[in-house]
Amino acid sequence: MSRVEASLVVCEHCGLAHRWLPVARGETARCTRCEAVLGRPHRLSIEAVLALTVAAAAAWLMAINTPLLSLSLRGGSESTTLPAAILAAWQSGTPIVAVVAAVTALIAPAAFIVLRLYVLFPLAVGKKAPGFAWCVRALHQAGRWNMVEVFTVGVLLSLVRLAGLADASPGPGLFALGAVTVLFAAIESAGLKHLWWSIR
Amino acid sequence: MSGDDAAHPPALLGCESCGLVSTNALPDGRKGVVQRCSRCGHVLRAARPFALQRTWACVIAAAVLYIPANALPVMVTTSALQREEHTLLGGIHELWLDGSWGLAIIVFIASIAVPVLKISVLGLLAWTVRRAPHWRRLERARLYRLIETVGHWSMLDVYVVVLLAATVRFGPLASVGAGPGLLSFAAVVVLTLFATWSFDPKMIWQEPPADG
Repeated sequence: MSRVEASLVVCEHCGLAHRWLPVARGETARCTRCEAVLGRPHRLSIEAVLALTVAAAAAWLMAINTPLLSLSLRGGSESTTLPAAILAAWQSGTPIVAVVAAVTALIAPAAFIVLRLYVLFPLAVGKKAPGFAWCVRALHQAGRWNMVEVFTVGVLLSLVRLAGLADASPGPGLFALGAVTVLFAAIESAGLKHLWWSIR
Repeated sequence: MSGDDAAHPPALLGCESCGLVSTNALPDGRKGVVQRCSRCGHVLRAARPFALQRTWACVIAAAVLYIPANALPVMVTTSALQREEHTLLGGIHELWLDGSWGLAIIVFIASIAVPVLKISVLGLLAWTVRRAPHWRRLERARLYRLIETVGHWSMLDVYVVVLLAATVRFGPLASVGAGPGLLSFAAVVVLTLFATWSFDPKMIWQEPPADG
C-alpha cells in the first residue's frame, strides 16, 4: 500500500493538493487554483444528522402515502400520490418517462434515507456497519440522482396550472414533500466524507 | 486518449469517496493495474477514464434528441370539444398569454435555458480541453460548477406532465396525456446529466501533451 497523507486534501475539481488548515465556523476553504470548495467545518454531529434523517424518513413516508394534489371537476374528484403518478405514467404508454421519474423522485430519495439510517445508527454508537464503504459510494450515487426538490416545485407548478381550469387543492403529501426537501438540504450540507472522519 | 497528462502525473491522489490522500503508486499509468484507497477501497484514478469521448457522445446525442423534444408535443390535452397538442415552447407561450409570467419564466429557464446551457457549455469545455487549453481556465472551471449545480432543474417539465396526466383523468370530459416529445426531452435531461458526470474538470488544468 502506498503512503497515506493524513493532513492533506486534494481538490476534487482540479486535483491540486493542499495542506489542510483549521477553518473557522461559517468560513469555507476553497481551492487556491480553481476556487472549488475544499471543505467547511462540519457543524452537524453524527447524532444531529441521524436525527434529521429520522425526521426525513417520517416526512418521506407521509409524502409517498398521502395525496399530493386533488382536483374536482363537475362532481368528479381525482387525487394523486407520488407512486400513483409514476404508475399512471407507466400504464399510459410512457414506461421510460416513468422509469426516469421513479429513479429520480422515488428510488434515489428512498435510498438516500435508508442507506443513511443503516450507516448512521451504528456510527452513533461508534460502530462501523457491515458494507460501510459500499454504502457511502451508493449514497454518493443516490445524492446525484435525487431530484426531490425539483419534484416538489413540479407539484407546485402543476397545482397552479390546474387551478386555472378546475378546482385544485394541495394535499398533505405536498407539505410533507416540502419538509423532505428542506431536511435533505440540511443533511446534504454535512457531506458524505465526514462519515469516514468519524471512524477512528 | 483519455486526457491523461502523461508528462506530469499527479504525485498525490484524493479518494473520491472518502477524501483520503494517497501517494500515486502508479505514476506511469500501467494498463490493467489499479490503485485502491487504503481506507475505503475505492479505485484511485488521476483522471476519469475516457472522459472526453464519453462527454462528446452524450453531448452529441443530447443535442440531436433536443430537436424532437422541441418539435414534437410533450403534452396532449383532451376535452369534450377538442384535442390539443402542446410543445415545450407552445406551453410556455400559453402560460405567458394567460398572464402567468412568473411561471412562464420558471418553465422557460428549466426546459429551454438549462438544457441549452448544459449542451453548449459541455461542448465548449470538451472542445477547449484540446483546442484552447490555456484559455480562461478559472472561468471554465466556474462554468462546469454552474452546470453541475443547475443540471437537475431541467427535469421540472417531465414531472409536471407526469403529475397532470395522473391527476386529470375525467375520461372524455377532460384528460391529459404525455406526448412523444416528452420521451425525447427526458432522454435529453438524462444524457446531459451523464455528460456532466463524464467530463473531468481536472482536464481544464492539465498541460496538453507535447505531441499536440
